[in-house]
Amino acid sequence: MSDRTSVDLLQGTLTALILKALSWGPLHGYGIARWIEQATGDELLVEEGSLYPALHRLEARRLITSHWTKSDTNRRVRSYTLTEDGRAQLRAELSRWGRFSAAVTRAFDARKTRTT
Amino acid sequence: MSDGRQDRRPWRDVGRDVDDELTFHLEMRARDARAQGLDTDAARREAERRFGDLERIRREVRTIDEQVMRERGRQSMWRDLRQDVNYALRGLWRTPGFTAVALLTLAIGIGANTAIFSVVNAALLRPLSFTDPGELVFLWNRNTDGRPTPFGPGRMMDFRAQSTSFSGFAALSHISYTLTGRGDPETLPGASVSSTFFDVLGVRPLIGDTFHGGHADPNAVVLTYGLWVRRFGGDPSIVGRAITLNRRARTVVAVMPREFFWPFITGTPTAGAGPDLFVPGGPGDVPRVAIDEDRDVRDNRNAGYIRVVARLRPGVTERQADAEVRAIGARLSVQYPQDGGRTAMLVDARTQFFGTLERPLIVLAMAVVFVLAIACANVASLLLARGAARRRDLALRRALGATRLRIARQLLTEALVLSVAGAAAGAIFAWWSVRMLLRVAPDDVTALSVTLDWRVLIYAAAVAVFAGVAFGIAPALQCSRGDLTSALAEGSTRASGSRRSSRVRDWLVACQIAIAVLLVAGAALLVRSFASLTHVDTGIDTRNLLTFAINLTGRTAEYQSEQVRFYAALQERLLALPGVTAAGSAVTLPIGGDDFGTTYQVDGRPIPEPGQEPAGGYQVVMPGFFSAMGIRILEGRDVALTDTRNSQGVVLVNETLARQQWPAHSPIGKRVRISAEEPWLTVVGVTSDIRHLGPAVPPRPEIYQPASQRSFPFMAFVVRTAGDPYQMVPSIRHAVAELDPTLAIADVKTMDDHIAHAVARPRFVSALVTGFSVLALTLAVIGIYGLMGWSVAQQQREIAIRMALGAEKASVLALVLRKAAWLAGAGIAAGLAVTPIATRPMGALLFGVTPADPLSLAAAALALAFVTLFAAFVPAARAARIQPGTLVRS
Repeated sequence: MSDRTSVDLLQGTLTALILKALSWGPLHGYGIARWIEQATGDELLVEEGSLYPALHRLEARRLITSHWTKSDTNRRVRSYTLTEDGRAQLRAELSRWGRFSAAVTRAFDARKTRTT
Repeated sequence: MSDGRQDRRPWRDVGRDVDDELTFHLEMRARDARAQGLDTDAARREAERRFGDLERIRREVRTIDEQVMRERGRQSMWRDLRQDVNYALRGLWRTPGFTAVALLTLAIGIGANTAIFSVVNAALLRPLSFTDPGELVFLWNRNTDGRPTPFGPGRMMDFRAQSTSFSGFAALSHISYTLTGRGDPETLPGASVSSTFFDVLGVRPLIGDTFHGGHADPNAVVLTYGLWVRRFGGDPSIVGRAITLNRRARTVVAVMPREFFWPFITGTPTAGAGPDLFVPGGPGDVPRVAIDEDRDVRDNRNAGYIRVVARLRPGVTERQADAEVRAIGARLSVQYPQDGGRTAMLVDARTQFFGTLERPLIVLAMAVVFVLAIACANVASLLLARGAARRRDLALRRALGATRLRIARQLLTEALVLSVAGAAAGAIFAWWSVRMLLRVAPDDVTALSVTLDWRVLIYAAAVAVFAGVAFGIAPALQCSRGDLTSALAEGSTRASGSRRSSRVRDWLVACQIAIAVLLVAGAALLVRSFASLTHVDTGIDTRNLLTFAINLTGRTAEYQSEQVRFYAALQERLLALPGVTAAGSAVTLPIGGDDFGTTYQVDGRPIPEPGQEPAGGYQVVMPGFFSAMGIRILEGRDVALTDTRNSQGVVLVNETLARQQWPAHSPIGKRVRISAEEPWLTVVGVTSDIRHLGPAVPPRPEIYQPASQRSFPFMAFVVRTAGDPYQMVPSIRHAVAELDPTLAIADVKTMDDHIAHAVARPRFVSALVTGFSVLALTLAVIGIYGLMGWSVAQQQREIAIRMALGAEKASVLALVLRKAAWLAGAGIAAGLAVTPIATRPMGALLFGVTPADPLSLAAAALALAFVTLFAAFVPAARAARIQPGTLVRS
């Protein structure tokens, strides 16, 4: 049950996290996973694989693009880059998250003051 | 290295990409786990655990990617198409001269095709406006000479009773009716039909109800739409009201719809005018005769005036039905010797209506298709030159990564854009030319209600696409084949050194010349044929000769003595009119009117077997007819009013009959008779020949009987006038009205008009084909001029060098003209070779010339030789004016 809750929460914010991860430059899927893991303290990405459908959907929406590169071990690596549309989307997500979390925080605070 | 194009490739392997991506993730995770001290297996398990449900995720990602790819594939197709079309439009806009010439050429080719096909469609393709028209057939007596003739009532009734091939059977006759009681009397063409007539055709009236099998009020009348609108103002309340026809009240029971198309049914099919009204038949449901409408004629087998339309029983083929009627006809002719050895024959409805139009239309269709071929060759040639001029541009595009397919597609798109635009312009041109066409067309074409319907538009679109592909494919192949480096290396002044393209253009121009030869020769043949047709001596002096018809009604019509008295009185009044120099009358008007034929027997010769008797034209005349017509009496005398029914029966014969029967003696005093039941008639005169059946038909034997010994209630009058014949019409009308105010004069026309009408179709065909050949010549000139101009431009440098080395202007001129002469020679030779084959189907349309007429061929060859050299001369002269200095330096 608790897993389910965190996954649902993840679906809403995963998009924003991916865009944020790519805002510093191109990354492959594993790189994005690692960044999320480090940035959130391994709290959010319960199922790493769910990153990929999200990535491909973002690509279909043209918020990110992908291209193939070669790794140092000479393997084909798919690398993702943020597009202009993606960058705009990230700004929108951030401001929305800002307003959302401020509102939630305010709500939590308000509840506390009323009980006292 | 990144590969930017990969995303757009529709054949990217989605499955492999997804697998590679996910596997990479798992391996990286396992590597990191190993770095933290786990062993290989544990590290792999840890990676898989953290990843989650691999199979589900793989499926999910693949689905997303496949969907994206399908969508992008579609988008890129449209994008490419839009790009091609935009590119083509921009290219065409930038070269307005090229575009204008190409569009005009196409508009002419496609427009002329669409116009002619509209007529073809109306006559040969569009279904007739009857229920299941394919089942309708016309039944005719088949004469021993193979000609179709109408039935006598008795024989028709035997066919009606004995045949089993038909589910419906209707007979009809043509009768004129004089409408009175509503303004001026007017004579209208009508038909008397079996009560089954409208049911057999499967047609419904616009208003009212027609008569049906076995139920027909003998006094009913059905009007056509045209008559209803013209004479009754389209008033729907006319149904149920009475109108007066031939002095008898008839109740209008129905009006037919506008689409109801029913021409006169004649042995030589025409689709011209038809009856204006329909009345039911008389006793026994037999169509009425013109004389004494209510007489019971069932016993008569011989008077041939009945035409039959029948519907084939389902499952019975026309062939089977034809075999049956043939057998019945032969059997009846054995049973009844007076049937004259005839059998019977079927003619399908389309042939009956439009059969004689088929061949002229095929000739016209061939001619326009040739015009289109020349037009396409022109545009192809233009596109080739354009392609050659753009070789560098295209090579550059290839170097920048465009595929051959892409470039070929682009060129094809350009050709298609051009041809679609050409088709649009052609549709406007076609609309205009159909109107023009109908203005000059003979009335059997104008009766067709020629329209630009959807079949015609589909045809035009098909022609346009075909043309586009046909002339787009060559440049497309050429340009996609060309190799990069040579194209890029060529200097800009010689950007188009492609020898192949120039050779293809030579071919195209030679073909154009060949086709133009064919068309010009065809036109020359038709024009010569038409000229000899109009110069034929018909045997009639047509100058200022007015003709009109009189249909007697009532008491005057009933007795032959009354008829003759009326004709004589009218003739007297006509001769008394100032401005009339001669007047006469005959039962059938030569060339413009009807035609009676008869068999006859000669006194003193054995009586031939039925069907073997000599035949000729039969005519009844009043005194003065011959001199009024300019027919000479070569021997003996004219008929006279003193030849009465109580005196000796007499006839005149024409010189052809005299020559056939009595080549060595004078025919005067010899005797002939129409049949064994009729009395002998003594020949009292011989007349000069006339072409009764029209200029194209040679004179036949004719027998002339005096009206005072045998007459009909209808007569054709001829009046020779001193001045303009039509000026006499009011006073002639007045003269008729003075004798009988209920009579109308009908078919008022000059003999020249009748002759013009008789040759209207040959004139139409020859005028159109001539028009097409002028178009062909014009297009060929454009083609030749374009090619020669272009090749001079190509050779500028070479010519300049030659001139710098001392070549004369004349030799430069000759250099260019020599090429034109080569092309003309090859084209003309090919054209002359195919012309006799291609013009063979025209044979039946030609009069006085053969399809291989050397004069026409020579004229065509000369015309093309002249035109080719003319078109080449301007570029040649330009070449001769080249200043060597400027070009060699550049």
